[in-house]
Amino acid sequence: MTQQDQIMAGWSLSAPGIHGGRVPMRDWSREEVDVCVVGAGASGGVVGAKLAEAGFSVVILDAGPHWDPMSDFISDEHASTKLFWTDERITGGNDPVELGSNNSGRGVGGSTVHYSMVALRAHPHHFRRRTLEGSIEDADHRDWPLAFEDLEPYYEEVEEELQIAGPTFYPWGKPRRRRYPQREHELNASANVLVRGCAKLGIPVAPSPIATLSAPHEDRPPCVYRGFCNFGCTTNAKSSILVTYIPRAIRAGAEIRGNAMVARITHDSHGRATGVLHFRKGSDELFQQRAKSVIVAGYAIESPRLLLNSAGSLFPEGLANSSGRVGKYFMVQSSEQVYAKFTERINQYKAPPPGGAITEHFNRTMPGVGFVGGYTIEVIGPHPVDFVAKMATGRGLWGEGLRREMLDYNCFSGLGMVGAVMSNVNNEVKLHETEQDQYGLPVSHVIFSYHDNDKRLIKHAREKMTEILQAAGGEDVWSDHRMAHLFGTCRMGLDPDDSVVNVDCRAHDVPNLFICDGSVFPNSTGVNPSLTIQALAARTADRICDMARRGEL
Amino acid sequence: MRSTQEQDDEFRSSYPNYNVLDKWFSPDWDDQTRKVVRHRLEKVPPIRFFSETEAQTLAAVAERIMPQPDRTESGRIPIVPWIDEKLYEDQRDGYRYEKLPPQRQAWQKGLAAINETAGILFKGRRFVDLDAESQDAVLKRIQKGDPPGEIWKQLPSQSFFEHMLLKNVVKTYYMHPIAWNEIGYNGPSSPRGHVRIWEDGLDPWEAQEEARRR
Repeated sequence: MTQQDQIMAGWSLSAPGIHGGRVPMRDWSREEVDVCVVGAGASGGVVGAKLAEAGFSVVILDAGPHWDPMSDFISDEHASTKLFWTDERITGGNDPVELGSNNSGRGVGGSTVHYSMVALRAHPHHFRRRTLEGSIEDADHRDWPLAFEDLEPYYEEVEEELQIAGPTFYPWGKPRRRRYPQREHELNASANVLVRGCAKLGIPVAPSPIATLSAPHEDRPPCVYRGFCNFGCTTNAKSSILVTYIPRAIRAGAEIRGNAMVARITHDSHGRATGVLHFRKGSDELFQQRAKSVIVAGYAIESPRLLLNSAGSLFPEGLANSSGRVGKYFMVQSSEQVYAKFTERINQYKAPPPGGAITEHFNRTMPGVGFVGGYTIEVIGPHPVDFVAKMATGRGLWGEGLRREMLDYNCFSGLGMVGAVMSNVNNEVKLHETEQDQYGLPVSHVIFSYHDNDKRLIKHAREKMTEILQAAGGEDVWSDHRMAHLFGTCRMGLDPDDSVVNVDCRAHDVPNLFICDGSVFPNSTGVNPSLTIQALAARTADRICDMARRGEL
Repeated sequence: MRSTQEQDDEFRSSYPNYNVLDKWFSPDWDDQTRKVVRHRLEKVPPIRFFSETEAQTLAAVAERIMPQPDRTESGRIPIVPWIDEKLYEDQRDGYRYEKLPPQRQAWQKGLAAINETAGILFKGRRFVDLDAESQDAVLKRIQKGDPPGEIWKQLPSQSFFEHMLLKNVVKTYYMHPIAWNEIGYNGPSSPRGHVRIWEDGLDPWEAQEEARRR
């Protein structure tokens, strides 16, 4: 297409190219599109790109900017707070969740521009936990309404697009039908610590599958182990949504509209969604984007918040909320971290923070431990600003002692867990009664308390991580409480009275509304969720194509 | 009073000859990172949010949380100006504990409460006028959650200490190149990466140890 053709076809906007410069992009702002996606992150990017390629007119909105990786990402911890959702959220319950840096993204690519790239599949048993483990007191323990096999082809599809680098043989989960697209990464010093400790204790350990290139792919170079993955990748080696699915979406004619904060979803008198109202940067005006279908992909806090903020006379308790389940059953994953000091230099700032090694040996319900569910143990690699905050709060350390201890920063090595937590009706995301954000919208009030099962699981993991670090020669072991990853607030289920979306992520109450992100998880699995979120989004796109073909949209 | 030599020993770095800024023109530093760090070094903001008393109290608290007795006034890592800027611009963190008021109120109340506690424990004296040991005694009571004082009834002291005071002071200290030198942190690394990522592996431009501390 020549530039003139593109202008004639409505390609009047441009977006940052992943290698600098600008690329032409469609402008759908004055038209009714087939699909409007809210959120350009792990799920929104995937579902939007696939639908655009299938011929739908698509606009993807994100509250934050459309990043240019080559000039916007800064090789500095403090300067990277702009990648996080820093608008106020109120956090409470017995175990309030720390949000902001750890659990959010703002901007095109969402949290995948700063995530740690651990790309794991959930295991078949994670989808059937209620069946296998039975009911749990004071919890709402759930199966998924779909099976691992429903997602398996989509795990493969997403792994191919992201060019996951992993080992020839990965020992946990269902045996793979094909190998990882790229070879595994080298182990860094912290990963060697995990391997050494596990070997001493007889715990199986393996190279970890990671979403950063180990060999060139298309026009992207392999990872050079800068170690700044949590602050935005400046070389495009990292397979974030920003440099994978978003360029695909633009090529297929989608518009990616950054700095567009969606305030509410509109609907007609028949209860069908008609589009979204959004604020654009620098204006107090609400813009309307008309759409035949709306896909909400804002993750487990912003998605329920948007539905609750979209209440109207037909939907007094919030859009798609006749079940009362929007915002309920909020879950995290426990992600306690344990550190020890070594005589060697570890230099944990080098290479991707997952280090290159992992053990899922404890990612199963184990007999005789007093809890159900499991966890993975992964390597972590915080830079000084993040690390000192952990050490200060984890050990209650300050003063001369803290400054002295930090002189050994290069000798610390750490492990982190990703643990399943129970689903519980008392944990929820609701609208705060009085507080509003910069747009005048009610902010989220997030309530979370651990279940006793969660606490026993965390204790087990902390002990195992301690044993591993000590077996590897580590001393002065300490730990820091932490949670990561969010789920459950628009859960998926077969019963419209007990869930928000069906197995296709379609809202039970509103036929042309889809909610497609981590909020639909009925339980929290025991692995990092990004690959499952992406696989679910890829499947949802195919299901929407099927429904459109049959005239069911 | 300890000698300067003793104080120097206490914080003696393993990397006395390492200066991360020597790499300013190397492939480790891209333009956008240079711009950010240059601003941090040259444009220390004026105090615009805190009152004079609040700023002085916080400076004294920061000196106990991250002591810099080994540095001259001009060689110190500035802490208060950056916390003041965060509050002046009201840059939020993305979450607030439900028991804490919005950050500006929390800081104002918290700093006033520190002085109130100091006065109750030490005969009406202000926090800045206490010796280091007494200042630590005040901060420890706040950290433990049982400081005397009326203001703390509206502000949970443990939460304020851990989530606001402690985290902000230590994070501000370690975002500065002087702190990176002290701990041998490689600093910015864009676009150049690393090859020797194993134990004791060092690429030529990483901080070399002069004497291992341990």
